[in-house]
Amino acid sequence: MLGVLRSMLTTLSTTMRRPVTRQYPESHRPIPERERAFPLLLWDHGVDEPYCTGCQACERACPCKCMTVTMKDNPRQAEGTSKRRKIVDTFWIDYGRCMRCNICVEVCNFDAIAMNNTWTGIELSAYDRHDLVMDLDELLALSRAGGIVPWAEYVGEENQKLPPRAVQAARTLAGRGPA
Amino acid sequence: MMPVLGYWFGIAWLDAILRLAVIAGVMTVVVIFLTYAERKVIARVQQRLGPTRTGPAGLLQGVADALKLVLKEDLRPTTADRWVFELAPFMVFVPVFLTFVAVPFTRDLGVRFLSLGLFYIVAVSSLNIVGFIMAGWGSDNKYALLGGVRAAAQMISYEVPLVLTVLGVAMVASSLDIRVITERQDVVPYIVWQPLAFVVFIIAGLAEMNRTPFDIPVAESEVVGGPTVEYSGIRWSFFQLAEYSSLFVLSALGADLFLGGYIWPFGSNPPGWLQLILILVKTSFMILMIFWVRATFPRLRIDQLMSYCWKVLIPVTVAQLFFNGLVLVYRWPDILLLVFSGALLVGATAATAVAVRRAARRPRDAQAVRDRRLQYARGA
Repeated sequence: MLGVLRSMLTTLSTTMRRPVTRQYPESHRPIPERERAFPLLLWDHGVDEPYCTGCQACERACPCKCMTVTMKDNPRQAEGTSKRRKIVDTFWIDYGRCMRCNICVEVCNFDAIAMNNTWTGIELSAYDRHDLVMDLDELLALSRAGGIVPWAEYVGEENQKLPPRAVQAARTLAGRGPA
Repeated sequence: MMPVLGYWFGIAWLDAILRLAVIAGVMTVVVIFLTYAERKVIARVQQRLGPTRTGPAGLLQGVADALKLVLKEDLRPTTADRWVFELAPFMVFVPVFLTFVAVPFTRDLGVRFLSLGLFYIVAVSSLNIVGFIMAGWGSDNKYALLGGVRAAAQMISYEVPLVLTVLGVAMVASSLDIRVITERQDVVPYIVWQPLAFVVFIIAGLAEMNRTPFDIPVAESEVVGGPTVEYSGIRWSFFQLAEYSSLFVLSALGADLFLGGYIWPFGSNPPGWLQLILILVKTSFMILMIFWVRATFPRLRIDQLMSYCWKVLIPVTVAQLFFNGLVLVYRWPDILLLVFSGALLVGATAATAVAVRRAARRPRDAQAVRDRRLQYARGA
């Protein structure tokens, strides 16, 4: 019979605790750094142009053929403001076809492509699947705005020993922008 | 729900219709917000948030549910017994509606104040068993029939201790008028003189309302909703309406009978608004207790349920009546009411605890139960 009172107390104590529910669309849980959403292109803030040279290595490696890349001569190389002779001209990724296998990131010679590890790579629902075909500007936008720290950055050579969060903290303290 | 200042418009039948309309409205609103409250309370117990989306803090969730139920198609199985099936929800609902008539909320606020109000409530509240049996039989569904028979067994059994506890209070107050009973509690509420009666009242009330842990007739996992299994739309909502309004009526009645209703602890005649606040606070307290119990305990087995009623509740409540009689006839001091009732409460608790422990320790009994179930399963 004491068990009756004890169980009532148990439910009372859980009532006093804070609910664990997240009101999802309004509040987001933090996403792990290694989250692998859809691939996007990275922006070279030092030279102010994309890292991508349009070499089509990713396009050739892509198992589901969701990418289309073209290349052009880099006009800024002629001006002398950039060392890249070629640069990406157009780039499309069909997010509706991509299966998020990470192969494009692995084959990229310039570390120009990364898997999106933010909520923007997840909340992509659209009424028309054609809206899921992303062009160059859309692929670069997040990185250009400084909104992403690619996972590859966390495991760079000098940071091999450090846990990712420590790297991020160090980066924030140094005042360096992401990517 | 309105002051008894004679008839409205001075016309008896118009007055009666108006009063009934007011009850219907108040009941609907109460039920809508009780379902919301229950969902919220149980969510908090389980560390969830409960409804949050419909209206501010989810307050309109009940309204949305009610609308959905009203607009839903009202289905009837082709093999159902048409009239029995279609009338059963009302047979469940009407008795609850009738009990609402006699419950006083404050000294002047109530639908009708009957001098035999308690007797009337006891008499009409047990009528809805008929409705459950009709629903069970009319559905032509074995789960519904099983649920209906279970409901009948359970509600008839638990009606007895419920009446006996209420009778104990009526003896102490020497009246069956609920207003008189309430107003005798201006100094000490009857929960003090009759703790056993209060506890048994809540337990038997839970069983009367088919609420957890006594929801055997409507158990989802055993008889898939029992008598209500074939109902949908507005007919199903009548069962819901009946359940929650009986929850409200029973809580208000418990507040009146045991917690000093609209009087205690503010002397014999607090102002009207204070009476209203008092009764609302006490009713809410009772309702919260019932929600809390529902969130805590698992369902009983039907044999446990029956033996608990007949072997524990009824003997102790009868004993309490007997001791009440002794104290009142020989004019012993009131404190003896508390002593006897409290001793019986402790005794009943201890006896139940011992019985539960023994049952848990006897593997042979468990084996016997398993054998019996096997026999049933084989159709023996």
